[in-house]
Amino acid sequence: MSWAQIAIDGLALGAAYALVALGFVLILNAAGAVNFAQGDLVMAGGFAAIALASALPLDALPVPGLVLAPLVALAGGGAGWIVAEVAYRPLRHRPPVAVFIATIAVGIMLQHGANGIFGAAERRTPPLVSGDAVVVGGVTLSLQSLAIVATAAIVILLLHRLLERTQLGRRLRAAAEDPEMARAIGIPVRRLTALAFALGAGLAALAGLLLANVYFVTPTAGLAFMLKAYIAVTIGGWGSLRGAVIGAFLVALFEVAAGRLFSASLADALLYAALLLALLFKPEGLFGEAAGRRA
Amino acid sequence: MSGRARIAAARAAPLSLAAAAAVALLAAGAGAYELRLLAIAGCYALAVLGYQFIFGRVGALSLAQGAFFGLGAYASALLALKLGWDFARSFPAAIALAVALAAVVGATVLRLASHYFALATLAVAELMHILVIEWVSLTGGGNGLPNVPGFVLFGWAVPRGWPVTAFVWAFAALGIALAANYSRSLYGDGARLLRAEPLAAAAAGIDAAGRRLAAFLLSAAFGAAGGALYVHTLGVVSPEAMQFDVMVLILCMAVIGGRNAVAGAIVGALLLVHLPEWFRALEGWRYLAYGAGLLLVIVAAPEGIAGAVEALWRRRLGNTAAPSGRTLVPDAAVPAARAAPFAEDRAILAVQGLAIAFGGNRALAGVTLFVRPGEILGLIGPNGSGKTTLLNLLSGFHRPDAGRIFLDGRDATRDPAWRRARAGIARSFQHGALAGDLTALDNVALAAYGIRARAADVFRLPGRDAKRRRARDAALSALAKAGAAGAAHTMGADLAPAERRRVELARALVAEPRVILLDEPAAGLSDAEKAALRSALREIAARGIAIVVVDHGMPFLIPLASRVVCLDAGRVIAAGAPADVIADPEVRRAYLGAGAVL
Amino acid sequence: MSGIAPILCVQHLGVRYGRIEALRNVSFVQDQRSIVALLGPNGAGKSSLLRAAMGLVPAVSGSVQFAYRDVTKEAPESRAALGIAYVPEGRRVFPGLTARENLDVAAFAPAAERKRRRDRVLALFPALEPQLERRAWQLSGGQQQMLAIGRALMTAPKLLLLDEPSIGLAPVLVEQLFARVASLAVEGTAVLMAEQNTAAALSVAERAIVLRDGRIVADGAAEAIRKRPELELSDLGPG
Repeated sequence: MSWAQIAIDGLALGAAYALVALGFVLILNAAGAVNFAQGDLVMAGGFAAIALASALPLDALPVPGLVLAPLVALAGGGAGWIVAEVAYRPLRHRPPVAVFIATIAVGIMLQHGANGIFGAAERRTPPLVSGDAVVVGGVTLSLQSLAIVATAAIVILLLHRLLERTQLGRRLRAAAEDPEMARAIGIPVRRLTALAFALGAGLAALAGLLLANVYFVTPTAGLAFMLKAYIAVTIGGWGSLRGAVIGAFLVALFEVAAGRLFSASLADALLYAALLLALLFKPEGLFGEAAGRRA
Repeated sequence: MSGRARIAAARAAPLSLAAAAAVALLAAGAGAYELRLLAIAGCYALAVLGYQFIFGRVGALSLAQGAFFGLGAYASALLALKLGWDFARSFPAAIALAVALAAVVGATVLRLASHYFALATLAVAELMHILVIEWVSLTGGGNGLPNVPGFVLFGWAVPRGWPVTAFVWAFAALGIALAANYSRSLYGDGARLLRAEPLAAAAAGIDAAGRRLAAFLLSAAFGAAGGALYVHTLGVVSPEAMQFDVMVLILCMAVIGGRNAVAGAIVGALLLVHLPEWFRALEGWRYLAYGAGLLLVIVAAPEGIAGAVEALWRRRLGNTAAPSGRTLVPDAAVPAARAAPFAEDRAILAVQGLAIAFGGNRALAGVTLFVRPGEILGLIGPNGSGKTTLLNLLSGFHRPDAGRIFLDGRDATRDPAWRRARAGIARSFQHGALAGDLTALDNVALAAYGIRARAADVFRLPGRDAKRRRARDAALSALAKAGAAGAAHTMGADLAPAERRRVELARALVAEPRVILLDEPAAGLSDAEKAALRSALREIAARGIAIVVVDHGMPFLIPLASRVVCLDAGRVIAAGAPADVIADPEVRRAYLGAGAVL
Repeated sequence: MSGIAPILCVQHLGVRYGRIEALRNVSFVQDQRSIVALLGPNGAGKSSLLRAAMGLVPAVSGSVQFAYRDVTKEAPESRAALGIAYVPEGRRVFPGLTARENLDVAAFAPAAERKRRRDRVLALFPALEPQLERRAWQLSGGQQQMLAIGRALMTAPKLLLLDEPSIGLAPVLVEQLFARVASLAVEGTAVLMAEQNTAAALSVAERAIVLRDGRIVADGAAEAIRKRPELELSDLGPG
């Protein structure tokens, strides 16, 4: 397998992980708590895609998976909204560990719900685009991986525009920084927090669709996604959106490179060991918690 | 038994009896399958009891408890299978191995913020899971290893059936006794304050990092014990014992049963092990039900079943506080301590060039001052002048960017908060930092000998009860000196604001400090209460204790202090006799701004 | 008090934090376009009164009426929409947003109207203009104070609640700031201002209310209040 292919695979994996990590940070900043169900939402997105695929006549289409993308993202968004109302809102005045535990509970329910409905066997979603490979400059590249990178890039760009250039985005950021003050200037903080959850979950579900064709999805896959998102955000700096993306790519590159040399599980083990070392020496990550935030 | 012990026993009684009855009932007339299930519940009960140390008492979300359980299982099984060790040797060895791992992990990750700690423990757990699957030659890989022997002690095998169940529950009972001992000791009380008010706990001399490590080690020991018992009950060892599902199960048992009550661990373990048996329909969906139960409990009844029962029981028993009588000493009766009756002229606390900046904000820009034994130093200044920051630096919550702090001539600048507390600096907080779920007496007592309490208090060693009695006596006398003797048996959460301050003052006193730092002690008090507080403080100073008081109320502070220092924008702008300082034009300008005419 | 319709009417207001009574039976009326100074020592309840007026802390008793509308049970967001604006103690600008974003985020209006309001704020505080693209945490204390007030003004309020605006500011900045605050009332925004710097507050306010231990102990014209030494306004009172 050529180096170009390995690079593209790493980029594709990183792009998908970036969506998951971004969603995680959005929720983290908005709610001040860890969403432990983020990984299970990825898994749920994959299974939602599988369920939708069996109901729709996709084989005839040139871009079967892509058609599902907005549907899956919307379904994820709906799930995120529910999580916000059920696991966050009643607990928002309690210490953050309560929300952490509540999201663990949600994750458990997602995992075993999927297990009950779909069974434990591994499944695959339809490909994003029909067609196997494309030849660019004499090098054969997987069309799937390219499609994943393109889709994720577009979504990340849209998210960036939303946050930086729209009033809604500014309000989301303000509400995340100081919810009480935001309310005092008229921002509907409760609704925006639920929106943040919806966005975060939608991103996770979309990542599930992207990943579940190249890699299989099983009901127990959520934990690994959760850990990797957690690691990406820790490396990139807790609470930093830019750091989350960079951390995600670093994790993916490590995984793909180590996966070439060792088995997949051993690659994971090395990743976790690397995380523990990183926590030992530089717990604030590459970008740290944004400097000077406490004015 | 003291009053509080009686109350605690009364609370624990109904649930413990119920739990014991449940175990007996389940055991009576049970077949082989039910007996084994009961034994498994006992193993989990031990794991949950251990989890309560780190998760319930200390409040740190560890995600490695399942891994310690699995480690205990694998260690004991492998020692039996590969080396032929009997249970009497493999059991302690498995525990020792888990504690060793916890020591290594704990020393490195416990100091991290909570979200990093959870992540780190999760990473450790997953690492162990992968290790156990990949190291096929040792562990049998994904299939595990069959034919793990039962409980063999010195050549004699515990027969299958109810002897095994009794054997397991004997260990569980031992675990219960140890955990109950812990929660009723001064050591356990210290953990409650640590969870409720970490800064105040540090200022009272409690070494938070040491406590957390001890709790983590205890959790690992109990977890491994449960795992070792589990694997010999089951007869087979497999990666299922190391999966995250075990952690989830333990977490659900702890939260649903009640994470802060010993009985909660038993209730949780029994319930969640037997629920799928009682409701066959749950079989395939049991974890879904657990998850839903976890969510429901954490939202609606965060203290779990045990907590709900305890709350009901407390409402039945009612509040046992005696009416708090206050002796108001009118001002004139106690002579003002203007000059310290001590020949000692050397400063007990001195600060040189102290400076600190937070982000871009220079909170202190070079502060130098000193306090002598028996002196009352008033610290004033407009909002934002750095008074609270100075107190926090003196307490040891931050390290200064520049400058030094001397306590009785010794450089204490690099001492952490708890060490300064043990060296003689005591502190009170504006909001009255007490543990709500302890009585006033216990809040004070834990600072008396709580400083010297040890994790070994878990084991009822000789001298421990005497230590507690001495601490309680010291606490009573401190409460009397602070004028709060009548509130001794009131729960922290039920105290009125003025009483809270006095109980905090008592807690500061009981450690026999050399310097007391008071942050707005008179705020919100009535005039009569302020006068009483003033006389109490004068009495304390008369005994040679230095007092630094930050307060905004000049009518309260001026007659009380023997000297006053005024801060503005992080610098000392005036120091001297109270009347001179408030007449100082610099001071008036700082408070009033330009153009003040008074 | 003249016959102009009041902008704020507080009746028998009580506020409690746990077991501590921060406000007891507080009643007063504020006219439109007036500047009222809220004075008193630390812990007297000034902040609590402003927060209760904004709805950030619930009232356990009594009522708050804004322009004849009972807002006692309304959430802060709706009160902001009705025309009350709040500048807290310590400014609390949104640190990660730029100064311009801090202003924009408060304006619930189309882009053109937003620009108009922004220009008005910049006319009032020209020192903010060069800082517009910098992150708010990078601004100095005085600049942040101006930004916080500007942000509140972007909601086009009829009542501005200011909590200790002079903290941490050099006296010369305080004078300039208060001069601008005075001009606000003339242009149609009533101001209720809690202050420890009584001299500065009394120099711009027409009326003063003095709080102590959660109760109103004096309420009248600023000149009259200034001349009453028994109120120990300077905090450094007699003795």
